[in-house]
Amino acid sequence: MSPILFWIFSALMLGFGAATILNRNPVASALSLVVSFLGLAALFFGLDANFIGVIQILVYAGAVMVLFIFIIMLLDLKAEQRRQINIPALLGGVAIVVAFTAQLVTVIRSYKAGNEPFAAITPNLPDAHNIGMTLFANYNLPFQVIGVLILVASIGVVVLSQRELK
Amino acid sequence: MNTALNLLHLLTPESILVETILVVLIAGLFKATAQKRNMLLSLTLIGGVTAGAMLIFQPHYGNIANGMAVLDPLTRFIKVVVLGLSLITAVYAVQSNIRQHFAEYLALILFTAIGMMLLAGTENLLMIFIALEMVSIPLYLLAGFLKQSSASAEASLKYFLVGGVSAAFLLFGISLIYGTTGATSLRDLAQSAPAVTRDPLFLAGLVMAIVGFGFKVAAVPFHLWAPDVYEGAPTSSAALIASGSKVAGFLILAKFLAIGLAGAAGSAASSQLQPGWLPLLAVIAAISIVVGNLAALSQSNVKRILAYSAIAQSGYMLLGLSATGGTALISVLFYVVVYALTALGAFGVVLHVEQRRGGSQLHHFEGLHQSAPGLALCMGVFMISLAGIPPLAGFFGKFYLFAGALGSASQGGNLGLLWVVAIAITFNAVSLYYYLIVLKHVFVTPATHPAEPVTRRNAATFVTGLLAVSVFAIGLYPGVLLDPLRAAAQAANRKPVTAAPVQPK
Repeated sequence: MSPILFWIFSALMLGFGAATILNRNPVASALSLVVSFLGLAALFFGLDANFIGVIQILVYAGAVMVLFIFIIMLLDLKAEQRRQINIPALLGGVAIVVAFTAQLVTVIRSYKAGNEPFAAITPNLPDAHNIGMTLFANYNLPFQVIGVLILVASIGVVVLSQRELK
Repeated sequence: MNTALNLLHLLTPESILVETILVVLIAGLFKATAQKRNMLLSLTLIGGVTAGAMLIFQPHYGNIANGMAVLDPLTRFIKVVVLGLSLITAVYAVQSNIRQHFAEYLALILFTAIGMMLLAGTENLLMIFIALEMVSIPLYLLAGFLKQSSASAEASLKYFLVGGVSAAFLLFGISLIYGTTGATSLRDLAQSAPAVTRDPLFLAGLVMAIVGFGFKVAAVPFHLWAPDVYEGAPTSSAALIASGSKVAGFLILAKFLAIGLAGAAGSAASSQLQPGWLPLLAVIAAISIVVGNLAALSQSNVKRILAYSAIAQSGYMLLGLSATGGTALISVLFYVVVYALTALGAFGVVLHVEQRRGGSQLHHFEGLHQSAPGLALCMGVFMISLAGIPPLAGFFGKFYLFAGALGSASQGGNLGLLWVVAIAITFNAVSLYYYLIVLKHVFVTPATHPAEPVTRRNAATFVTGLLAVSVFAIGLYPGVLLDPLRAAAQAANRKPVTAAPVQPK
């Protein structure tokens, strides 16, 4: 992928990621998230990870987003209320984030291997087959545990969202 | 045998627990009757005890997919302990004020147990992260189970937000460690870590991973969630957070540091400071001990006292972890198991008082020795053990821990950690004050509450009594717990590295 495309898609992803948080209107937030996912998918394509790129669009930008918007419509969410901003807390948070980022940037700059160009990637096709093999052979246990974790999440949603019976 | 069958073979107890959960959930759908809660509890206990029995009769050693799931005597010992602690929590839950969704409550306790068992039985960074989530997510739900109580909702939200941030830190740290070493298995990491110990990116990853773990074990300065969660969550949930998740958290932190990063330890000895995780751990330990003990002094709620005491105890355990080598791991595990039994017992007494008198403020404990002399005695045992007074188990825990820290060979041998141990012993004396304040309300202050009916014995008070007896017994004969731990740790070191499970001879 040419560097220019990389920067464009990264900027798209980060910019709309920020817009997701900053928008007060939930529908606008959800749509910003779609664009952010599209930028991420383009980055995956640039790394020759075609399968993941396609899945990113189909599952996240497609199915998950439809679900999000469906829930927003169903619950009839209104635009978020403007909140009183706690100035000292905000300043403290910003200071910590800036210090942390500055440290991280210094550390990464001093990392030798980080300044060298990547070795050329040779695509290893078909990647859907490779991912399947890796997932079900080497990472079988984590895969199954995540299945159980999804069961926990669905039980949790039912327990927390159901109205108390009188 | 192929990998999938090996996996099933190695994780039979966890699979049984998953099946138990499904049975409990289905049984929970039946019409509510007077006996339903007891029926659900019996199902849970039957499943749990079966899983425990399977654990004991499993093959002795196993290692699947380069450390994704490992089994050795030490791992098995800890798995049995965390399973037992979770089942005791389930017994507590029957006496608690959880009316709705009781089957789901028990199911979530079992999910936490599965997470803790997976966490105990893995030596792979990826599985460590997933298993930690498997522990944390059910705990967030358990903390917020009382939907009519705003304190419970606040506890759950705080725990969730802080837990989410800490998980992000942990994941970031793990990915930096993986990026610099190319290993997710702790054993591979041990091979490649020494080459990059001076690499700033690796050190950044190490610090972030320790921050992530620090949140999980509630060490200062990552402790702010603990008091509110302990106070607001249903008491049985808080008991599980204080006991089982502590044991699993400390075992995995010990494995991560001692197996994976043994080469990146550095030194915290006051004479020869070197970068690495040891100085970091020693400093966190010292601050936790100071802040935990001092903040506990001004609390008026027994659950908050227990929370700050838990923070201080985390400090003692981190001090034990910074004394690497020799018997340090065994003394930390001894300490954390004893602590878990004691904390669980103390929460049992709190649960009883809450149900009887409607709160867990200090004044609710006044005159407990008249209305429930047995439980008052138990509370005495737990508090004195937490304070570390002989002949109770807590004393021996602290004794081994401090002795291990002083004699730690990797610190130069000559009392390098003396500065932390000195802080620990000084503040242990401070901690006596708040433990004894609780006992003063239990035994000395006369009851101002109206007389209440004499306590009927129930399963929860029985279990609390059993815990008190075990804390007392471990204090009299520390070998009861120490010998199996020592034998298991020695056997774990002799482990043959094979892919297939090895049957016991």
